[in-house]
Formats: sequence, C-alpha cells, structure tokens
Amino acid sequence: MKQLLVFVLFAAMLCWILFSPIYKHVVIVRQAVLQQEVDYLLEVGASGTYGYIDGEMLRQSAERMARLGLRPEAVSFEIATTTGADGANPAAPVPRGTGIMLTISYPYENLFMIDRLIGIEPISSDDRMRAFGMKMSEYVP
Amino acid sequence: MHKLLLIIAMMAVWLTTHLLQVEEEMAMKTLSQSKRAVNRAAHAAAQQLDKTALSDGELRIHEGAAAQEAARYLAANLQLDGSGTPLPGSFLRHPVEVLVFEVINSEQSFPYVYRNETFEFEALFRQPGVVLIAKVVYPRAFSVIEPIEWEIRGAAELVAH
Repeated sequence: MKQLLVFVLFAAMLCWILFSPIYKHVVIVRQAVLQQEVDYLLEVGASGTYGYIDGEMLRQSAERMARLGLRPEAVSFEIATTTGADGANPAAPVPRGTGIMLTISYPYENLFMIDRLIGIEPISSDDRMRAFGMKMSEYVP
Repeated sequence: MHKLLLIIAMMAVWLTTHLLQVEEEMAMKTLSQSKRAVNRAAHAAAQQLDKTALSDGELRIHEGAAAQEAARYLAANLQLDGSGTPLPGSFLRHPVEVLVFEVINSEQSFPYVYRNETFEFEALFRQPGVVLIAKVVYPRAFSVIEPIEWEIRGAAELVAH
C-alpha cells in the first residue's frame, strides 16, 4: 500500500525523468541536422563553381532533412549576402569577397511539452530553432 | 521509508547521467561549430588578394584586409561583438580570444610547411595562406563535467583560378 502511494506521488516526476531525456536528445539532433545542412549548403554554394544557393539546392536540402524525419514544409531558409545582393540567383552569382549568410530554422513543435509534468512552462511550439553560417564566396567570373 | 529514499537516490543518479550526456553532446556541437567558424574566418582572410601585387603578376595576401575579414567572419559565425564578447543570442558565454593569426605570404617558397610548436600545429601550404588559432571556452550549463577550453586551429590557402 505504502509503495503504491509512493509510486503515485512520484508518477509525474518518474515519467518526466524517463522520457524527457529522449525529447532533449531529439532537440539536439534536429539542431545538429540544421547546422549540418547550413554547413553543406554554404560549402557548396560559396564554392568557385556556384556562388549562389538557389531554390533547387534548397529543395534537395529539404528532401535530405525529410529523410531524417523533419517536415520539409516547416523548414525555412533565409539567404542574405554581406553586400545585400541576391544570393539565390544562378544568373548572377555572388563574386569573391562577398559573404553568403544562410539561416535555417525549424519549429520546436511539442518537444518541450513534457516539461509541463514537473511544472515548467514549455517553450512555445511555434518558436524556432535556428542554425546560422556565413562563408565568403570563392566565385570568380 | 527506505524505498522512498532509494527512489530519490535513483532519480538523482539517472538525472546526473542524462545531464552528463546532454552536456557532452552540446560540447561536441560547440566544438564543431567553433571549428567551422575558425575555418571560415581563415578562408575569408585567405581570399584577400593584394590588388597592387596582383597587377605585377604576384599572388599576395593583403595582410590588413585579411586580419579584418578574419575577425569579421569569426564574429559573424560565433555571434560575437567587435571585441570578441558573445552577443545575447550566441551559444558561447566567454569571450573568444584569437591566439595566433599569421599570414604565410608570397615571400616564402612553396610548398611551405608551417610549424607552431606552442600549439602543436602543422600545415602544408601550396599557395599563400592564413593560419588562425582561437581559444574558445565551453559554457557549461550544468556543472557535471570539468571545464572545457579548446585551442581551435584552422588554416586556409588562397584559391586562385
């Protein structure tokens, strides 16, 4: 009887302790996936062959992320350059010396919902995790 | 009563193990992101061609512009302000210190082997290039691991087409 009482007393806490690490791990892995995509797109896009990150590259990137369990329609990409030029136009690549900046963001969804069990207000599901990078273009016309 | 104590003790052990794992995963991520920032800073610095030397047909790195771009790219990728202190959104909390910034310029004969005994770093250059070593301190969220500091080494050479 006493054991049952103890279990009921700690049920929420136990649930949180058992399952919250898995959710936290998913957050870390998703963040790492975003960062990896940023690094890859910048590596390719800023290389001497391209000098831009166009819609096709972004589509392929979203496809890769979909294979890792992310919803491709929720991924958002922002491309900017240090000079304000368009970094997504294959017809006008960004020349050497100009930096390409890429931000990929994805909503946290309900990954922090489990924190309610121990009374912590979770991060809103609309808040977004971000990965950012800036690399100088190598493209020479 | 002793069962209650046992449950609490188990919870403490379980939590510590998980915090340790989260902390280690975060540390690995911080390290790879800092390494990328150092690489990109060195890369940007190595693209700074000296235009006057280029007009004489010599591939040379403009050292002033290189230092400026390296600082700019390091700051942008790690979200630091001008003095190396992290901005509010950054994943770091301690200032980043640039320990070594060296330009291997066209007066050397190539291939050139760069050696730094202090930081145990060696790099082979086939073109003029830049060496950058920065100290990054990992901001521990929970004190379950020992403090971590990295001396992150990066090198890049001029890409000439």
